[in-house]
Amino acid sequence: MKSPLKILHLEDDSNDAELVRETLTAGGVCCDITRVDSQGCFVAALSTGDFDLALADYTLPSFDGMSALTIVRESLPDLPFLFVTGTLGEEVAIEALKFGATDYVFKTRLSRLVPSVQRALREANDVQDRKRAEELLLAEKQFLEMVAGGQSLPAILDAICRLVEGTASGCYCSVVLVDPSGARLEQGAAPSLPPSFIASIIGRPVNPDSGPCAMAVWLNEQIIATDLSSETRWASYDWCPMALSHGLKSCWSTPISSATGKVLGAFAIYYNEPKDPTPRHLALIEQFTHIASIAIERVQGDAALRRSEAFLAKAERLALSGSFSWRVASDEVTLSEQYYRIFELDPALPVSVELICTRVHPEDMVVLAEMIERARNEGTDFEYEHRLLMPDGSIKFVALVAHGIRDEQGQVEYIGAVQDVTKRRLAEDALSKVRSELAYVARVTSLGAMTASIAHEVNQPLFGIITNASTCLRMLTANPPNIEGALKTARRTLRDGNRASDVIKRLRALFSKKEVVTESVGLNEAAREVVALSLNELQRNRIIVRWELASDLPSIIGDRVQLQQVILNLLRNATDAMSGVTDRPKQLVIKTDREEGDCVRLTVQDTGVGLDVQSIDKLFQAFYTTKRSGMGIGLSISRSIIENHRGRLWATPNTGPGATFSFSIPRRPEAVVGIDSLGTVLKPAITNAERIMGNP
Amino acid sequence: MANYSLVSLVDDDESVLESLPDLLKEFGFAVRAFSSAEEFLASDSVAATECLILDIAMPGMTGPDLQRELTLRRQEIPIVFITADEDETIRPRMLEQGAVDCLFKPVSEAALLKALNMAFRVN
Repeated sequence: MKSPLKILHLEDDSNDAELVRETLTAGGVCCDITRVDSQGCFVAALSTGDFDLALADYTLPSFDGMSALTIVRESLPDLPFLFVTGTLGEEVAIEALKFGATDYVFKTRLSRLVPSVQRALREANDVQDRKRAEELLLAEKQFLEMVAGGQSLPAILDAICRLVEGTASGCYCSVVLVDPSGARLEQGAAPSLPPSFIASIIGRPVNPDSGPCAMAVWLNEQIIATDLSSETRWASYDWCPMALSHGLKSCWSTPISSATGKVLGAFAIYYNEPKDPTPRHLALIEQFTHIASIAIERVQGDAALRRSEAFLAKAERLALSGSFSWRVASDEVTLSEQYYRIFELDPALPVSVELICTRVHPEDMVVLAEMIERARNEGTDFEYEHRLLMPDGSIKFVALVAHGIRDEQGQVEYIGAVQDVTKRRLAEDALSKVRSELAYVARVTSLGAMTASIAHEVNQPLFGIITNASTCLRMLTANPPNIEGALKTARRTLRDGNRASDVIKRLRALFSKKEVVTESVGLNEAAREVVALSLNELQRNRIIVRWELASDLPSIIGDRVQLQQVILNLLRNATDAMSGVTDRPKQLVIKTDREEGDCVRLTVQDTGVGLDVQSIDKLFQAFYTTKRSGMGIGLSISRSIIENHRGRLWATPNTGPGATFSFSIPRRPEAVVGIDSLGTVLKPAITNAERIMGNP
Repeated sequence: MANYSLVSLVDDDESVLESLPDLLKEFGFAVRAFSSAEEFLASDSVAATECLILDIAMPGMTGPDLQRELTLRRQEIPIVFITADEDETIRPRMLEQGAVDCLFKPVSEAALLKALNMAFRVN
């Protein structure tokens, strides 16, 4: 309770007035009473004095209590108003209470006066507190709206300072911020403080010695300096004399902390008189440092977000990558700035899957459309490398990766990225060209080296054979014939012939695969493995693989690796055959089924250049090729492998474009033999060359 | 062609060593066969040899090594090289270094006769 209590007393009888004063003083109420006895004096007193309470007699010679009540309620609705009167009928009393009187006390029972006054003040206090709380809540709401509305931080902090200054009269407020390095104080807001005072605070180092705000920030503690004229802290920075020179006598500084506890700045209240904060002050400070922290965090968060967005955009640009999101159900597409740039799309156009597809190379559209359709239905992740056809006719290669997620409603949304891989792709193509040329050279050179070694080993006995035969002929045609000599040379011819044969045997032993692995092989799995290994190449050539695998295919006994070599060879041939195809989808059908006679068949069908009917027979001969870079031994070796599995390999032209290669193998061959043909002797060269190409 | 002119043969290959001397004898030459260049140099046939049929690749001293050694010793013997390596670049190299001819194994009777004729014409 404030003391002394300022009371306005409307009373014409000085004795009664004195009695009231005595009663109040006796009851422990310290008061300062202004007595008036006319309407004029009453109104004048009300307008000048800051009263806590009004007491009024009901009947006066020139005025009356009810009129006084009416006047008070018009201007001061919350001022407690008590009738202290001699006579008051019950009806009048009720009327008075209805008009807003707080209570009434009869002069004959003045003992009730003190409790009644105390109750009235308490109630008034409560009303005032509630009103103040409501006002502050409203202010808080307005600040939060300013924050949400994207108002600038200085404007918000300024408004907070002004509100506190309006609520706690006589004070001056400031907000200082901590700079990004955390080392110095920065300008926040100080609408009512002298600019020279704030200027001398801004830039001060954050430490316990440079001033109350710097200390509050440093310690993350509230700093109260009740009387700056007797304050001993911050002497090394002469802070107190500086503040005193601006007329400030007290300072309370409170750190502003983020939700995570990081100190963002300090909120300070100054008075030009020595002062201690009241609980109301402290509550006010707590409430508005909190609001300030929300505002600062939000604005700094926004700035960080903008920085991060700018950074991301820059990174995307550097990485030649764009990102997108795609809500499948609504077909809503969002693209990053760099995505627009890569696709050369106008950011002003409404973006849709259809718009994006206008940039996709027509030849790649079939596969992409299929992928999009699958994505719509299944929501599974997908990735694809495809081409873009730009309006100027140039081609770009992009790698697309998309990850599907489901929201709470189960709707699929894809988050993905595209990267412009044109440069890399062109480099890879150049590299792959060099590599295949290298592989060709390697095949030829290793073949050449082997031929030379075979030639050397065989030429020696051949020399003997020819020389012996010449000698033998001469001996036989001599006159007389030298039979004995001829026999001797004939025997030597025979021996040299055997020697040549031994050389061949030794070479074969050297190059042939020693052990033949026989195991149970599932053709479906074997084919899937080969395709998995070649996926990159197939995708690069934009080949669509269709599977028509028999689900109940029995396994066969054979050499898995060799059979996979055959499948790989057929796949390669098909890929090569379709390399020039542009007017139809490049489709590869891999099919397995059972054949009569307990055989298992695998078929590879392409939509490539097809076969020349006349040359079908020559296909499987060694060194026959229609390819510029081919050696013409792939199919020959393939046939050797299949025949060693007691199977057969054949080719048929399609009714439409392309060709079909098939092999069939009996489920239980009597035995799988080691490969025993020209193909095997040449095999190490193939294997080496293919190792260089990085394929099995 | 002088009868009994001495043709020496140096080759490490057994088939050659066994077959060629008989044919050369049929041609009417006296023949000495050696399985290495070292053996030939150590023999008493060097001075008497009128034509040398010499293998190129041999373990130890090679055919060209022997040719150089003979030049150093001022033994100017016409040399017909024979080799089992079908390297096209060998022949011009050997001819440049003074060989009468360079034949690739297997060697036909006609080619051998032609080379020997040339060797004796040089002589």
